Amino acid sequence: MSTTIRTQPPPRLRRLPGHGLTDVALARLFIAPSVLVMAAVVLFPIGFALVTSLRSYTRRQVDGFAGLANYATVLSDPAFWAAMRFTGLFTVTSVALEFVIGLAFALLMNHARRGRGMTRAVILVPWVIPTVVAGQMWAFMFNINPGFINSLLGLDDFNWLGSAGWATVTVIAADVWKTAPFAALLLLAGLQTIPAELYESARMDGAGAWQRFRHVTLPLLRPAIMVALLFRTVDAVRVYDLPQVMTGGAFGTESLSMLVRQFIVITPDPGIGAALSTITFALVLGVGVLFVSQIGRSMVEGGSTR
Amino acid sequence: MMQKKTWIAATAASAMAVGLAACTPSGGDSAESGEITWAIGGARSQPGAAHDQIADLWNEANPDTPVTVEALPESADEAREQQALVLQAGGSEFDVLGLDVVWTGEYVENDWIVELDDLRGELDAAVLPGPMESSSWSGSLWAVPLNTNTGVLYYRTDLVEEAPSDWEALCQAASELDDSMSGYIGQGARYEGFTVNWLELYWSAGGELYNEDQSEVLFDVDTATEVTSFVAEATQNGCFAPGFNTAMEEESRIAYQSGDVAFMRNWPGPYSLIAEDTESPAHEATAVAPLPGFDGNPGVAAIGGFNNAISAFSENQEVAKDFVVWAATDPEVQQILAENSTLPVLSSAYENSDDPLITQLGEVLQTAQPRPSVPAWNEISLEIQSTIFPAVNGEMDPRAAAEQLAEFLEGTVAE
Repeated sequence: MSTTIRTQPPPRLRRLPGHGLTDVALARLFIAPSVLVMAAVVLFPIGFALVTSLRSYTRRQVDGFAGLANYATVLSDPAFWAAMRFTGLFTVTSVALEFVIGLAFALLMNHARRGRGMTRAVILVPWVIPTVVAGQMWAFMFNINPGFINSLLGLDDFNWLGSAGWATVTVIAADVWKTAPFAALLLLAGLQTIPAELYESARMDGAGAWQRFRHVTLPLLRPAIMVALLFRTVDAVRVYDLPQVMTGGAFGTESLSMLVRQFIVITPDPGIGAALSTITFALVLGVGVLFVSQIGRSMVEGGSTR
Repeated sequence: MMQKKTWIAATAASAMAVGLAACTPSGGDSAESGEITWAIGGARSQPGAAHDQIADLWNEANPDTPVTVEALPESADEAREQQALVLQAGGSEFDVLGLDVVWTGEYVENDWIVELDDLRGELDAAVLPGPMESSSWSGSLWAVPLNTNTGVLYYRTDLVEEAPSDWEALCQAASELDDSMSGYIGQGARYEGFTVNWLELYWSAGGELYNEDQSEVLFDVDTATEVTSFVAEATQNGCFAPGFNTAMEEESRIAYQSGDVAFMRNWPGPYSLIAEDTESPAHEATAVAPLPGFDGNPGVAAIGGFNNAISAFSENQEVAKDFVVWAATDPEVQQILAENSTLPVLSSAYENSDDPLITQLGEVLQTAQPRPSVPAWNEISLEIQSTIFPAVNGEMDPRAAAEQLAEFLEGTVAE
């Protein structure tokens, strides 16, 4: 059935005989239900969170309009700034490392003549493991007892998870291990779209390996890089499971999402929880918009140079 | 193709219906049938599913008023959230609510549960005082204890002659151990377990958080500072194992069972695991004792466990009352709990036992103390975790931490 649609000529902008709607109007009519469903599913919760964040609650019951008081409470809470600091540090460091390692893997896999499918499957294993399981596994490995990492590095009883600074390092390490393969896969897909002729002509012009990478690979890989960075950054800003499982948020590893959960489940205050969620949402949205606009631009640039 | 789509839609619809049915608690039309629903956390995840066994026992004797177990999540906070969703909407789905010992005040203040003072006569003489205290709020009884729990000190009988009577003696004994071993491990990771472990020390040093009806703060900054400094120092000098500040119950047990430490604070649950592990150096060389005291005071343990309350929206409160009293006082029910690694609340279960461990736990429970079940307990516990925890880990001055906690506690009664 789908093949018959494709073989038909593309529809034109003209009035069909027999009814008064243009194709555009008809298309809008057909799209309307999906737009409505999207609005209900996506926009309603966001709007509801926004409304909730403006209310004040006592023991889970609404007791009036709070204005921006919940936001003021959140912004003056040292725990919020500690969570912002960790979330920011985690995002920047883990995404940067995942990108570099992922790109290295992607280049390796792209060059592999044989066994590419096999390598790809092996490299993806960490990404397939559920995050909670991976977190628990790394918590065991970094643990002082039984302490696999300590015996591997000969560190006796170094307290990775129980000291400020190093706790953050362990969480970032686990995340890099887990999601660098994902970045690698996205970048590999991008690499495979670059035509081999470009490298050939670059070589004929006398470009060395680094110049080919710098002037052919990187510019043409830009859209894939942007998509990989977007996915990873948005994911990292929302991080919850790894620090929750590995450190429980101790030693400066409490993320924004963990703080949101605290105000929803542990010390319930829907107003504060919603204000925090809204701030987190705004951050994620900001990052998303930034990347999407960059992707759009790179698509246009890519198109015009071709 | 159309047929296939219809088939998929029908499957999806029925799957959703099943899903919805699974989400809806089962006691909807309980008023006419006399059925009751017992919503309690961790029901099926416990070994032997004690709650299901108890329900079966009740249903055999009371076929006209059967009870159904609604198994809530094992995590206390998640289970409370499930109950809150129903109770906040005034739902009558749950008749009997399994309450963690620290929830009583919050449920009373929210008008979610009914007062049970008329049941006191049947319970006071038969049930342990600590669990009864955790079921009370502002002078009245609001729940009936089901099972309890208490912290105890495990020690290696092959390494030390007798259980240390106070913490100083414990650290003294720890310093005489072989260099490859640490002294003590407990629950020092940043979570509710840390609050419990620290409170036990603070109580043992003679400290209190509130007066009896939780209307006044009795928090003593000097005592709190002293206790916190002791833990910070013990962590530094190796009396407490290096993994103390990331250990929860399971990590503690592993460290003790694999012979890394000579002393451990834990619940009685792991005892059988250690006793049965023939490869462990602690096998046949383990005894339990009351927690060490502090500064000449006897050790005070914290109480855990569940109490059964009756929903204010239940349409079957009389049956529910019979059920909760029966669960607290029936020897067979209490025996089921004892067999499932939780402790009975019935005093006679300890007196009549020929198991020396149970007899000893009965003694510890006589002085054990519940955490105050104030409505803001989770806030207080988090504050302890964000002041005292950094202080014992050398990231905050113990006195500054105690002062900050004192100020927070004052704020909880001013409301």
